[in-house]
Amino acid sequence: MEAGLFLTAVGLLAAGFIIPLTLYGHDLRSVRTLALSCTILASVLLGIASVLILLGGAIPAFTAFQPFAVVSLSFVIDRLAAFFLLIIAAVSACVALYATEYGEHLGGGCRRNLLAGCTNLFILAMVLVVASANTLSFFFFWELMAASSFILVMYEYDSPGTRKAGIFYFIMTQMSTIFVLFGILALYGQTGSFSFSFAGSAITPLLVIAFLSLFLGFSIKGGIIPFHKWLPYAHPASPTPVSALMSGVMLKIAVYGLVRFLLDVFSLDLWWGILILLAGALSAVLGVIYALKEHDIKGMLAYSSIENIGIIYMGIGLFVIFSVTNLPLLASLSLLGALFHSLNHALFKSLLFLSAGSVVHATHTRDIEHMGGIARRMPWTSALFFIGAVAIAALPPLNGFASEILIFISFFSAVAVVDPLLKVLLLVCLALFALTSALSAACFVKAFGSVFLALPRSAGSAGAEEVPPAMLAGPGILALACIFLGLFAYQLFLLAGYAVPLPDMLFIGLLLLLMAALTLVFLYFGASRAERTSDTWGCGTRIQEASAEYSGHGFSEPLDIIFSSIYRTRIRNERVFFDKKNIIFKEGTAEIRLMKVFEEYLYLPLARFTLRSAIRISRFQNGCLDTYLLYVFVTVILVIVFLGWF
Amino acid sequence: MTYDFFLYLAINTIVVLATAPLFVSLIKKVKAWTQGRQGPSVFQTYYTIAKLLKKEVIYSSCSTRIMRVTPLVNIAAMLVAALFVPLVFVPEPLGGIGNIILFLYLLALAKFFMALAGLDAGSSFGGMGSSREMSISAIIEPTTIIVFAALAFVFKTLNIFDMFALSAASGTITTPVLILIGISLFIILIVETSRIPVDNPETHLELTMIHEGMILEQSGRNLALIELSAAIRLTLLMALLVNLILPFGLATTLSMTGLLIALVLFVVKGVVLSGIIGLFESSMAKMRFFQLPSLFAMAFFFSTLIIIIEVFA
Repeated sequence: MEAGLFLTAVGLLAAGFIIPLTLYGHDLRSVRTLALSCTILASVLLGIASVLILLGGAIPAFTAFQPFAVVSLSFVIDRLAAFFLLIIAAVSACVALYATEYGEHLGGGCRRNLLAGCTNLFILAMVLVVASANTLSFFFFWELMAASSFILVMYEYDSPGTRKAGIFYFIMTQMSTIFVLFGILALYGQTGSFSFSFAGSAITPLLVIAFLSLFLGFSIKGGIIPFHKWLPYAHPASPTPVSALMSGVMLKIAVYGLVRFLLDVFSLDLWWGILILLAGALSAVLGVIYALKEHDIKGMLAYSSIENIGIIYMGIGLFVIFSVTNLPLLASLSLLGALFHSLNHALFKSLLFLSAGSVVHATHTRDIEHMGGIARRMPWTSALFFIGAVAIAALPPLNGFASEILIFISFFSAVAVVDPLLKVLLLVCLALFALTSALSAACFVKAFGSVFLALPRSAGSAGAEEVPPAMLAGPGILALACIFLGLFAYQLFLLAGYAVPLPDMLFIGLLLLLMAALTLVFLYFGASRAERTSDTWGCGTRIQEASAEYSGHGFSEPLDIIFSSIYRTRIRNERVFFDKKNIIFKEGTAEIRLMKVFEEYLYLPLARFTLRSAIRISRFQNGCLDTYLLYVFVTVILVIVFLGWF
Repeated sequence: MTYDFFLYLAINTIVVLATAPLFVSLIKKVKAWTQGRQGPSVFQTYYTIAKLLKKEVIYSSCSTRIMRVTPLVNIAAMLVAALFVPLVFVPEPLGGIGNIILFLYLLALAKFFMALAGLDAGSSFGGMGSSREMSISAIIEPTTIIVFAALAFVFKTLNIFDMFALSAASGTITTPVLILIGISLFIILIVETSRIPVDNPETHLELTMIHEGMILEQSGRNLALIELSAAIRLTLLMALLVNLILPFGLATTLSMTGLLIALVLFVVKGVVLSGIIGLFESSMAKMRFFQLPSLFAMAFFFSTLIIIIEVFA
C-alpha cells in the first residue's frame, strides 16, 4: 500500500518532468497545468503514504539499481524519512497550486515549460534524497537536487542580477556537495560500506573528519552563518514558487541529512553538540538581525530562513548534548522540537514567500519602502501574510510557538540537570534564543506594517489589485495548516505516541475566544456603539502624506543603532567651517556605508586566494610543446622512482 | 474542566479586573504626592474607563481591520494571561495553564497587535511608538527569559501555579536568591509596563512617547479596553513579584474566609508595591532612549550572576 503510493508518486513526478520538456516548443498553458497537476497529485499520494507510515504503517524498502555489490541505488522509508516526505508533500502541493497561476504571469514563453518541468525534477530529487537507503544514492540525488535547483534559480538568466546570484548559488551548492561527498567517502574508509549503518562506538579521527565534512556540507546547504550568503542572493532572484520550495523544503533536506547521519551513523560526542548548538545560536541571532535591516521583501524572508534553520540547529545541538549526557527524555524532547520546527518553518515560510510573491506581482517592486497600504487593496493576501507573520513571530496559539516552546522547555529543564559549565553555556544560548524570538517579532511587525498598513508609498502599490483565486488557494491551505498544527499540537504529539510537556493550545485558543466573546458581549450592552471615520491626526496639516509615515528604515532605526557594531555601519561625517572655532557651517559630506562583513572578510579573500593560486598554476600551461614533453619526462621519472622505492 | 478550576477562572478574572485600575491610580497618586500635588482620586482610572466606554470610536480613514481587532485581542490575551498568575487562590494547573513561557508569549501577542495598530493609521507618532516598543521589548527579552529560567531553576518547575504553591507552602521569609530574583523582576516590571526611566506613561511628548505614542490613534471603547489591558499587565507582573517573594496568605484550598483573607492581603501587598513603584519613578528622570541598552545589559548581567551563584552554590 505505502510502497505503491510512493512509487506512483515518483512516477507522476517523473511524468511531470518529462511531459513539458517533450512538448518544449508548445507554449501552452495546458501543458504546464498538466505538469503541475502531476505535482499536486503526486504530493497528495506522497502525503497519504507518509502519514500512514508515521502512524505505524509498513516501512517500504526497495532497490532500484545495483550494478555492484557495494554500489546500489536503494530506498527505504522509515518514520524519519516519512516525516520529511510529509514536509516535501505539503509544501509542494500548495506551491504547485500557486504556480499554475503565477507561472502564466512570468515572461519567457516556452521557458515556462522548463520551469514547470524542472520544478518536478527538483521535487523528485528531494523526495529521493530523503528516501535513500544508502549514502551513495543519498549523494547521487543530493547532487541532482543541487543541479535542478540551479536551473530554477537561473530562470530569468537575462537579468545580470540573476546571473550573479545563480553563479554564487552554484559555487556554494557545489562546495556543499564536495563536503558531503568527502564525508561519505571518509565514512566508507571507516566502515567499508555505503549504508546508513552504525559506524561503531569508538570515535576515530576518520569519523571526526567525516562528521566535520558532513556538518560543513549540510550547513552550507542549510544556510548556516557564515555560509549563508547564497540565500539572500538566490531567493530574490528566483521565481516565487522556486524561492518557496528552496526555503521551505530544500533547507530542511539539509536538516534531514544532519539528523539522519547523527541518528544512524555516528556515536555522538559532546563537542559536536556544542558545535551545532553554537552554530545554530550564531545563525539565529545574526540571521534575524540582518533580516531587520533588509528591505527587499524576499531577501528579508531569506535572512529569516537563516534564523529559523539556526533555531532548528539549536534543537539538534541540544539533542546531541543531552544524548551524550544521558538525558534521553530531554534529548528526544529537543529533537522533536527541532523536527516540529522544521515542519512548521516549511509551512509558514512558504506561505510567506507565496503571499509576498503575490504582493511583488501586484506592485512590481520588491522594496518594502515602496509598498504600504496593500491591506485595503489585497485583503485576502494580507490576511494570509498576517497568519504567516504571527506564526513566524512564534505567537500563541499558532504553530511557530508550538515548536519554539518545545525548545524553550528543553532549555529550561536542562538548566536544572546538566553540569555547571554546560549550564552557563546553555544559559547564554537560551538568552540568545530569546533575543532571536523577540527580534523576529519586531522584524515581522516591521514587514507587515510597512508592506500592508498605512498609505501606499508608490504608484505601483496604490494600483495593486487582488491576485486570482489559485494564487490565494495555495497559501490559503498552508495558512490553515499553520493554524491547525498550532491548535492541535498537543493532540498530534499524543497521536504520534509522544507525551510532550506542551501546553494544550486548543484549550488556550478556546480561552482566548471565550474572553474575546465575553468582552464583546460586555461592550454590546455596556458601551457606546457610535463610531466615525476621520482622518489621522497630522499635527494640523491638512493632507495626510504617505511620505510622513514611519517607513521600514525608520522602524528598524533604533535596532540599527543598538546593533551597529554587528552591522559594521560606517558613518563618515566631514564638515568644513568658515571660522576657526567650527561654528559657521560651510559645507560637508556625510556617508553611511553598510559593510558586507562576511563577503569582505571571508568570501572575497578566499576567492582572491583561489584566483591567485589558479593564475600560478596556469603558468604551467604555456602552450609550448617542449615544456609539455618535459612534464611528461619528469612525471615518468618520478613514477619510476616511486615504484622502485616503495 | 473541574468545578474548582471554573471557580478559579471566575474569581481570578473578577479580582484582576477589579483591582487593576486601583494600582494604576495609586502609583499616580504617590507620584503626585512626591511632587507636592494633591493628585487625582485613587478611583480616577475607573472613572476614566467608564467615561471612555461612553464615547464614540473614531477610526482613521486609512486604517484596516488590525485597528478594530487590536483592543479585543489585547484584552483577551491579557485576561488569559491573568489566568496564569493566581492572585488569591492557587488551584491544580490544567492543560498548560500557568506555563511560564506561554505567559510571556501571551504578553508578546498583545504587544505584537499593539505595535501593528500603531503603524496602521499611517501617523508618524504611532510608527515611532511601535518601533521603540518593539526595540525595547526585543532587547529586554534575554533578561526576562534568564530571570524566568532562574525561577524555573529555583522552583524546579515551569509552572507558575506550582511555584506559588511551593512558595506558599514553604511559608518562610524568602531566601537571598529569591530577593535577588525579585530585584530583576522589578526591573522587568518597570520596562514591560512602560514606566520611568524607560518610558513616561504620563505624557504624549514626542521625546518620551513609546507606549502612549502607539495608542495615540485609539479612542472611545477601544481606548478603554487598551487602558484596562495595560492596567492588567501591570497587575499581573506585580502579582508575580509579590506572590513569589511574599507568598503568605495565598489560599491553596477553596474556602470563603481563606479567599477573603487572601484578597485583603493581596490588595495590601499590591498597594505597598504600587507605593514603591511610585517612589521609584519619582526618584529618577527618564533616560535617553539609546542609553537604555546599557541599563538592560546591567539587568542582564545581574540576573545571569544570580543564576551562576545559584548554579555553583
